Amino acid sequence: MYSAADQIYKNIEPALSGYGVPDMVITLLAYAVPCGAVIGIVSMIAGMLTYLERKISADIQNRVGPNRVGPWGLLQFPVDGVKLLLKEDIIPDAADKKLFKLAPYLVYSSTVLASLVIPFGGSFVVADLNIGLIFIIVVSSLLVVGFLMSGWASNNKWALLGGIRSAAQIISYEIPTALSLLTVVLIAGTFSLQEIVMAQGPWPWQWFLFHNPFTVVAFIIFFISGLAEMNRTPFDFPEAESELVSGYNVEYSGMRFALFFAAEFSSIFITAALAAAVFLGGGNIGRDPYASGLGWQLVMVAVFFAKAAPLCLLTIWVRWTLPRLRIDQMMAMCWKYFVPISFACLVLTAAWMLLFDGNGIFWRMAKL
Amino acid sequence: MNAVAEYFRNIADAVTTTIAGMKITLRYWVKEPSITVEYPDRLGPGKTAADVVADRFRGFLRLDLDKCIGCMQCMRACPINCIRITVEKTAEIRMLTRFDVNQAKCMYCGLCVEECPSNALVFSKRFEGACFNMQELCVRHVTGPVPVAKLAAVSTK
Repeated sequence: MYSAADQIYKNIEPALSGYGVPDMVITLLAYAVPCGAVIGIVSMIAGMLTYLERKISADIQNRVGPNRVGPWGLLQFPVDGVKLLLKEDIIPDAADKKLFKLAPYLVYSSTVLASLVIPFGGSFVVADLNIGLIFIIVVSSLLVVGFLMSGWASNNKWALLGGIRSAAQIISYEIPTALSLLTVVLIAGTFSLQEIVMAQGPWPWQWFLFHNPFTVVAFIIFFISGLAEMNRTPFDFPEAESELVSGYNVEYSGMRFALFFAAEFSSIFITAALAAAVFLGGGNIGRDPYASGLGWQLVMVAVFFAKAAPLCLLTIWVRWTLPRLRIDQMMAMCWKYFVPISFACLVLTAAWMLLFDGNGIFWRMAKL
Repeated sequence: MNAVAEYFRNIADAVTTTIAGMKITLRYWVKEPSITVEYPDRLGPGKTAADVVADRFRGFLRLDLDKCIGCMQCMRACPINCIRITVEKTAEIRMLTRFDVNQAKCMYCGLCVEECPSNALVFSKRFEGACFNMQELCVRHVTGPVPVAKLAAVSTK
């Protein structure tokens, strides 16, 4: 497998090495371009999600939502970004200044790192690591470090409580997330996200979601624990506006505050994209992504986004439906329900693979 | 066995109640129109700000000079003295020479409106009082001398 960075490397290497540019610089350049593109795209999507969130919440609550800036208020999010950039950057006197400044970048970089291995359809993936899924699980745990750091460095009771809650929550929900992703790894036999996408097909019965009954459960568990990992309602304990004021980001202002929210909204997209790639066939339209031309690859990208977008909307929809759980309910939900059920899914999928020779429920029907 | 049944019942409850809630929000999201009045810009076709406020809204005070008998009851009723009236008598005709209502001070208690014997002083529905100088809020209802109405000529209530 090769990725967008590899293709760029292949294209610019002959031209640049002629000028005596060292190989390392070419490699860095080849990676810098798609990395920058992905950061831009994910930030844009995060911005649009903030707009959608406000608009959808307004629709659900019989309000109008942002409508002053641009047509239908579409330019609200760039304006918000500019506003937050211009705001005063306040650092509390008693704060641990180094950690306080570092924390938002850690939180943001963890979500951006996760987006590096997301296959956007076609050959558009920054780095198709052969440990892609493990990489995502690992870097999304980096979020905890950032949250704890911001909570501790703020020197504020509410912030510290929010940080500690986020640590408890994210570490707990890491387990069902990883286990439900493992069921797919069992079927596909690879951790590489691009290979997982290619192992599926364009039609719903070829997706891993409908491979067997347990993958459906695994998908639901992945989605819900994804909500918990990105601190969305009904699991928004780290920020819990009504009990912790605003949790870990209570002392932040200006762009540092915006980075926390950019990270939160990017992780909505990344979780949706991961679910789309792993369970819903990603941008697979039944063609080899590397052999087809640019036109077909763009179709694959469109298919990928068509699958990821409804999941983003679902995330927002859930937020404006369900109230926040109690913290012990949240823990009980994880350890008493999600962990055993996802373990059962894993074991039963393994049993299914043994029994039916690795065929899914619909694959088997097609063969008969 | 009971515990196992409860375990699965909890799961079923969680799923069904979540779906029930999400159905409701979906209906509001897709079907129900917003009830917000987009006040300055989009009030609806042919509507003005006065149309969107409630009946019996307490806006700026309005004086009907054809009805005012110059009794100054409103001035006495006003608890914060925001009404100033002067009545002068020349050649057996009482003339109203000043009727100022300081809307910046007015607290819209409505005591003057209640007191007015000829219904000359009423609340209008005008509420847009934003201005750059507070003096602009002092509304002069009378600019030149105006003869007051006779109470008998005014149909009361």
